[in-house]
Amino acid sequence: MSKKKFNLSDITRSKIFWAVVAELLILLVCLIKRPDFFKISYQPATGMLYGSLIDIVNRSAEITIIALGMTLVIALGGTDLSVGALVAVAGAIALKFMRWDVLVYNTPGDYTVKPFWMAILVPLFVCVLMGMFNGFLIGVGNIQPIIATLVLMVCGRGVAQIVTNGKQFTTQYSPFRVIGQGHLFALPMPIIITIVVIILMYIFVRKTAFGTFVESVGINRSASRLAGIDATKVIIIVYALTGLLSAISGLIYSSRIMSNDSNNAGLNYEMDAILAVVIGGTNMNGGKFSLAGTVIGSIIIRTIVTFVYYFGIVSEATMAFKALIIAVVIVLQSEPVRNFFSKKFAKKNPSLKEA
Amino acid sequence: MKKFLVFALLVVLAISCVAVEAKDLTIAFSQIGQESDWRTANTDSVNSTIENHEGWTLVYDDAQQKQENQIKALRNFITQGVDYILFTGVVETGWDEVLKEVNEAEIPLILLDRMPSCADQIDYVAAFGGDFVKEGYRQVAWAGEYMKSLGRDGEDVQVVIMEGTTGSGAQVGRTEGNLAAMKEYPFLKLAAQQSGNFTRAEGQAVMESWLKSLDKIDVLIAQNDDMALGAVDAIKAAGLVPGKDIIIVGCDSVKAAFDAIVAGDMNCTVECTPLYGPTVEEFIERIEAGEEFSKEIVHPEEFVYDMDGGIVLEDNDGGSTTSIKAADVIDSRQY
Repeated sequence: MSKKKFNLSDITRSKIFWAVVAELLILLVCLIKRPDFFKISYQPATGMLYGSLIDIVNRSAEITIIALGMTLVIALGGTDLSVGALVAVAGAIALKFMRWDVLVYNTPGDYTVKPFWMAILVPLFVCVLMGMFNGFLIGVGNIQPIIATLVLMVCGRGVAQIVTNGKQFTTQYSPFRVIGQGHLFALPMPIIITIVVIILMYIFVRKTAFGTFVESVGINRSASRLAGIDATKVIIIVYALTGLLSAISGLIYSSRIMSNDSNNAGLNYEMDAILAVVIGGTNMNGGKFSLAGTVIGSIIIRTIVTFVYYFGIVSEATMAFKALIIAVVIVLQSEPVRNFFSKKFAKKNPSLKEA
Repeated sequence: MKKFLVFALLVVLAISCVAVEAKDLTIAFSQIGQESDWRTANTDSVNSTIENHEGWTLVYDDAQQKQENQIKALRNFITQGVDYILFTGVVETGWDEVLKEVNEAEIPLILLDRMPSCADQIDYVAAFGGDFVKEGYRQVAWAGEYMKSLGRDGEDVQVVIMEGTTGSGAQVGRTEGNLAAMKEYPFLKLAAQQSGNFTRAEGQAVMESWLKSLDKIDVLIAQNDDMALGAVDAIKAAGLVPGKDIIIVGCDSVKAAFDAIVAGDMNCTVECTPLYGPTVEEFIERIEAGEEFSKEIVHPEEFVYDMDGGIVLEDNDGGSTTSIKAADVIDSRQY
């Protein structure tokens, strides 16, 4: 372990390497155009660090958290299209419990209708159930994942609308504000939550056998079954976990705006999450996965968005600009390009070693 | 079995005949779905007005944001032989065929809110909707007049415009109005322009970036109230005071914006009313009485609300408006 050989040729073959290169290239453009993009200062009024880099990590929290679950789903050879709708469901339930209700109180203020623990735990619980429903359809019903999760993708927002009677509730309850707008160690709370989720996920999939089970089921379900892995159980757990992570993401989203938004909360998150996983180097066909790659993928997506805002790309060109950058990233990661570079480095440094 | 079916059909026919005879008018409304609070208020206003009108029956269809649902609903209305069709199209294009069918069935058509692109090729008896260009114009005109009243028209006032969803009717119209009014107030300088997609979360993220990339922001023009409210949070997070350090002008006049103005977080909101019910009622009554409308779109009467009231601004159509103090009318707001 301690004397692992580092070969530049191997490194350039890895997809994560190219994801990091892409991120650094975007940041390099920022550095050349506006060095103050990197300025980070302490904001005494709010007690938080303040700067564009902080914004990128802070605002990528929702996608990062969901994409971690999506990584496992994709490692199983599946996809979960319902995550965006679950974000809306979680927000709707939380706000239903904490709304400022004109029938109960005259003016908006720092209060909640139901206890705070209900507003947090019920959305988490409901989304876990919805995730289990996905897992059940796929694992037991043998329905293709895209079709199975399409059910909740389509009707999830409807559920959110029913929960809130199609209304947008607002709240000013301060404990809830902490989730999306609070801070700890001078960092915005969503960053802290993301770090905790990453650590827990890492322990769960890499320090137990679960990650290996997932990879095994993703590569060959029948073989895994013969090896004694309960594939159905693994599938249900993974989709339930993704449901849980979507709910956490939904609570962060609605806490940022202190309101539910059944139409726009989590809109297109499924696409961003899948993209983050793919940029991070996990193969859509299932099998091996990389959590670290996913985190980098999610940060790349948010860097592009922040770049657009910061440098004032005209709104008509925003979509085309994002598509262009993502196309470049994906081409950089493609098999021929990686092979090209790895051969080049292999010739130059036949036995490059690092301490 | 066949006999039973024929019998059932006859019963249904009989019931529907009785229903039509008992009521004077059957009015069908094809709405796009419940996309926002504004839309909910719009639906409630139209539906409750028709239902409460004596002798009128409402046939309502919620298309859940899908054009094919709406086309199906319109064809159903034709088969049912309703007396009037009220129509708001979820998208602008693709209505030619079905609206011509409505014309062939000789059912009077009233267009609400969003005008289909084929409007000049079809027959409709009346059209009613907001004037987005005027709303956009008023936003900037209010900011200009307010800055003048503060005596700040001598300096370069840095203005940022937060646009709605790119390509939507409201975004196109309000941006046109915003930019037209900027020309009338030369001391207002356009510092940045970006889409916040009409949502709070994106309004927050866009403002957050602007606060870092721009040296100075004096005025924020947000093309709806949701984005303005999102921006308020971002301004607070940057340690600035919204409403003072940065003047914030929203649009739509939803209840939450009134709360924010009364609390001092926002300065102004330009109205875009969803309360179409009374006008629709008036249209139908006047058409029944034999009156004819031109194909011009009729616009609702709308106001500008701010912290203190009393700011006079010129409209782009030559009229003028005096702003109303938000705190005075907040209790009477329905949505």
